[in-house]
Amino acid sequence: MGLLSILRKLKSAPDQEVRILLLGLDNAGKTTLPKQLASEDISHITPTQGFNIKSVQSQGFKLNVWDIGRQRKIRPYWRNYFENTGILIYVMDSADRKRFEETGQELAELLEEEKLSCVPVLIFADKQDLLTAGPASEIAEGLNLRTIRDRVWQIQSCSALTGEGVQDGTNWVCKNVNAKKK
Amino acid sequence: MFISLWEFFYGHFFRFWMKWLLRQMTGKCELQRIFDTYVGAQRTHRIENSLTYSKNKVLQKATLVVQSEVDKCVEDIMKEKNINPEKDASFKICMKACLLQISGYKQLYLDVESVRKRPYDSDNLQHEKLLLKLWNLLMPTKKLKARISKQWADIGFQGDDPKTDFRGMGILGLINLVYFSENYTSEAHQILSRSNHPKLGYSYAIVGINLTEMAYSLLKSEALKFHLYNFVPGVPTMEHFHQFYCYLVYEFDKFWFEEKPESIMYFNMYREKFHEKIKGLLLDLKLNLVKDLLKGAALYE
Repeated sequence: MGLLSILRKLKSAPDQEVRILLLGLDNAGKTTLPKQLASEDISHITPTQGFNIKSVQSQGFKLNVWDIGRQRKIRPYWRNYFENTGILIYVMDSADRKRFEETGQELAELLEEEKLSCVPVLIFADKQDLLTAGPASEIAEGLNLRTIRDRVWQIQSCSALTGEGVQDGTNWVCKNVNAKKK
Repeated sequence: MFISLWEFFYGHFFRFWMKWLLRQMTGKCELQRIFDTYVGAQRTHRIENSLTYSKNKVLQKATLVVQSEVDKCVEDIMKEKNINPEKDASFKICMKACLLQISGYKQLYLDVESVRKRPYDSDNLQHEKLLLKLWNLLMPTKKLKARISKQWADIGFQGDDPKTDFRGMGILGLINLVYFSENYTSEAHQILSRSNHPKLGYSYAIVGINLTEMAYSLLKSEALKFHLYNFVPGVPTMEHFHQFYCYLVYEFDKFWFEEKPESIMYFNMYREKFHEKIKGLLLDLKLNLVKDLLKGAALYE
């Protein structure tokens, strides 16, 4: 083994890369969350066309977060991004009660995807900064989360806007990741 | 290292003596020499630099002047620099024009920023009217069945209520979309129908809002300065910002179909490429950007 390759190995050893898939309805906070995590400006966000990738270092992991837009035109492409997912993060707007049913359906469909089977799922009950936001317990009930048996899951209330709860969610991600090396 | 050393000496030492020497030779101050030599954005840009780096407080403050005090500011500069209005009659006019452009750019950013910060509000009748106007302009033959409707996706919004799509761009995003559809209706129809292309299609409204963000960030980073200094002889207004937005929409559509991306998923990559291209074009000080940048776009005939 040459010196260079030893050096390279030393350099790359500490970071295990994890591919994180961020999904959810439009306007849930999918783009804001990773930006908040990376302490970036969140005041100029526009709807995501296509996808964004953001890499965040946390607890010895390199989290590659894929945030995928959600327009009608994009839906057929979702599946192309399912492979090798370490953790699925599902983001929902806890204050948009009119869309609870829609968001529940969408989550259920995702959990049935073959390529995502057994992938741990974290549900971010986002927008807790809004007065009308429902508490995580109520949302877990409404989405029938207790019926999930084939994987580890967690619901975390948070506010992507203020950053509250985001770190707790990230800690859970690092603990439960099936550290896959890419 | 060498460059910063040079900059230090130049700023503190050489610049002063160079100016002194030139002043003795020509009998004119730096500002006058700039007016003699340059026009357009080059002139305004050089005047702005000369004022900013001046050690004289009156000159330094001139770049921060508000529009209503430009006349007085010009008088103060002339007094400070001993410029005789009879000997150099054009100085007053030229200086005023430059200061209006310099202060106007700063004011334009503040104006745009205040519109951007206003979120879309469904309880605001004007906002609602504007949204419906957008529908009617883009879809003159199709009636919107309800305010909350899946039909909004036909013009490229995400859900059944566009209000959440404006996000960080606030009402500015909607005003831009309406401005383009109203002033360049046939181009807007053409681009909307192209955006429904089965393979290369994109979401018209969402991309429009993304381009508002691009126009806004170019204004904020001062990348738009040369363009506006060349394009607008006096104070730039919101109207000029909207026009630049229209240019972006028109050019982006062209760019997108020329590049033929594999799918809409690569939007951000091509958006960045387009952004770089525009930044490059805007860097050119000498070109008359109005003619060159806008040539080809039937929009600006």
